[in-house]
Amino acid sequence: MKDAPAVSFERVERVYASGPSVTRALGPIDLELEIGEFVAIMGPSGSGKSTLLSLAGALDRPTAGRVRLRGVDLATRTASQLATLRRRSLGYVFQDLNLLPGLTACENVALPRELDGASIAVARREALEALDTVGLGHLAERFPEDLSGGERQRVAVARAFVGARELVLADEPTGALDSMAGERVLRLLRERCDESGCTVVLVTHDATHAGWADRVLFLRDGLLASEARGSARLVPGV
Amino acid sequence: MSVRNGILALLAEEPRHGYALKSEFSRRTAGTWELNVGQVYTTLARLRRDGLVAEDEPVDGPRHRWRVTGSGRGALEKWLGTPVDEAASRNELILKVLLALGGPPDRLRLVLDRQRAFAMERLQEYTRARPVLADAGDLSAELALDALVLRVDADLRWLDRCEQRVADRERESRLDRGSR
Repeated sequence: MKDAPAVSFERVERVYASGPSVTRALGPIDLELEIGEFVAIMGPSGSGKSTLLSLAGALDRPTAGRVRLRGVDLATRTASQLATLRRRSLGYVFQDLNLLPGLTACENVALPRELDGASIAVARREALEALDTVGLGHLAERFPEDLSGGERQRVAVARAFVGARELVLADEPTGALDSMAGERVLRLLRERCDESGCTVVLVTHDATHAGWADRVLFLRDGLLASEARGSARLVPGV
Repeated sequence: MSVRNGILALLAEEPRHGYALKSEFSRRTAGTWELNVGQVYTTLARLRRDGLVAEDEPVDGPRHRWRVTGSGRGALEKWLGTPVDEAASRNELILKVLLALGGPPDRLRLVLDRQRAFAMERLQEYTRARPVLADAGDLSAELALDALVLRVDADLRWLDRCEQRVADRERESRLDRGSR
């Protein structure tokens, strides 16, 4: 039997009401993201990109329709169950990194595993492995303020992938990094996606970053306008 | 002219057989610019006619190796030192979008959406090739691919700009109609 998709949206809508005015941020939208797929979401400001990401990441609930993660309808889960799901199965990389300044790189990466009940020793070992995969094993004991912007963002990537994450959500993860540092972060997301088999959803304004994805969805006014599925063909001769 | 000067540049590095020129031209442009053997030999014949290349006597079989002459080196230096002036206005994509502006808005959106998806797929293709080239340490191919990526990115930004300007104009028109 075919596995349930990593994420599915069924007639999902998100509407914000403020007094008499109603703003439709997203939908209705139908969408399926496969397990192990790297999907980028693009579109102008206000097109619904971050709303879609928040719904897929169980950070928000739809006004109508159903959001399912691996077949589980999020509407059937309590707030506490959703919190456990977020801690255990989902990883987030945001523009404002949310690294805790009083903790070392290793402690920052280990934190979600400790919160999830792993022993300090196990969480530390997994954190060191995750930092190694992003090329920062040698800086594990540094504090965030002693790292460059690119290194801090790679710590955030390590934290998003530590443990057995099934879905990683990244909202403009390269922030103000220069183009080479930004590309390194994107290549890491691609590699971690390929190696761990987890699904990655990336929101970006930068087409050269979206180029790392298997599929690129373009939103306009909260709806899917078009999509690109890169061919497997490489440049001739390469 | 590009092929002619490209062949001169490769021969200025070292004498080469015709087939080696074809292979090296393809490798140095990351496979994005393929020449056929006939094209290479036709170009070599013209370069020889103009005194810019000459044939060596065969030493390792029947094939000639070609080398650049002093005049050829001069022509190459002149080409390298002259800025390239590519007229951005004579571009089919730009023409298509500008003419689609004269039709219904839905048709323009269709043109923009299809071109955007197509350009993005190209960009995905190039991006997948990048780690392969970086790992192979082929600087020439990496730079060729950078050029392709940045050009497609420029097209995508321009498509976004078109859509934004059209949306702004439509909004202004609606506001104008509403205030009348």
